[in-house]
Amino acid sequence: MKKIIGIGAVSLLTLGASLALVGPGNSALPQVEPAYVKECGACHIPYPAQYLPKRSWERILGSLDKHFGENATLSPKALQPIKAYLDSHAADSAAGNPRIMRDVAVNNTPLRIVEMPFWIHIHHKQIERKAFDTPKVKSAGNCAACHKGAANGQFGDDD
Amino acid sequence: MKSRQFIALSCIVLLPAMAYAGAAQKPIIDSYLAAAKAENAAFSGFSAERGKSFFLAKHDASSETPSCTTCHTSDPTKAGQTRAGKDVAPMAVSKTPDRFTDAEKVEKWFTRNCQSVIGRACTAQEKGDFITFMASL
Repeated sequence: MKKIIGIGAVSLLTLGASLALVGPGNSALPQVEPAYVKECGACHIPYPAQYLPKRSWERILGSLDKHFGENATLSPKALQPIKAYLDSHAADSAAGNPRIMRDVAVNNTPLRIVEMPFWIHIHHKQIERKAFDTPKVKSAGNCAACHKGAANGQFGDDD
Repeated sequence: MKSRQFIALSCIVLLPAMAYAGAAQKPIIDSYLAAAKAENAAFSGFSAERGKSFFLAKHDASSETPSCTTCHTSDPTKAGQTRAGKDVAPMAVSKTPDRFTDAEKVEKWFTRNCQSVIGRACTAQEKGDFITFMASL
């Protein structure tokens, strides 16, 4: 019996950890590479590395001269720690979360978090699409318009 | 005599830039000044007025960012906003005193934004005019 409770507790802990990034009350914030926050966070919130697979980050970093309609090139020196960080913290890395990769086809390389099935599932189940086009929000990629803790990696319903 | 002439000439050449730029911006203005002279022998100093026209101009290179004002708004003393919704501190030196004091940062943004907005690199004169305008506000 004790053993079963033990296994149950471990499972709950694991579940809790795996939900930490997607669920509310996210208290344990991931350690974010300062170069990533400085460079990428200059124009938008430093989107969580854990919300896109490695192949997506690679493609994004490989096309910074055409970055969603803008030139966002970085020197190779500035790029290096960012590349290493995204690679080691992507959704399909050891530090990632398998739940985030659910329903992402192997031949699909989403370039926006809003294209990720987990994101669509969470947002479009509850929120009307036109809400993302309002002047206050501007775009669905402007997480901080609704999630006040977005810049710190907090994306719960109350953040 | 020769050195006196040199000093007099330097004053004439540097005066327009110095009249506008804050002390903290002077090293960067000076480096663009040297580059502008190298680009164009007839160059006669930066102009805040030219910088203003450059800042407000609309270009055809990009539908997303047709002008500096797309993100910075047409009033550089006010905060702007990136297309992704993040605030951009005012460009005017009077509002953001550390603007144009970090050469690496200044070059990074001119490199990116000139390509995004105009579709080519900016000339040293355009950069110097731009900073002179922002330092004059």
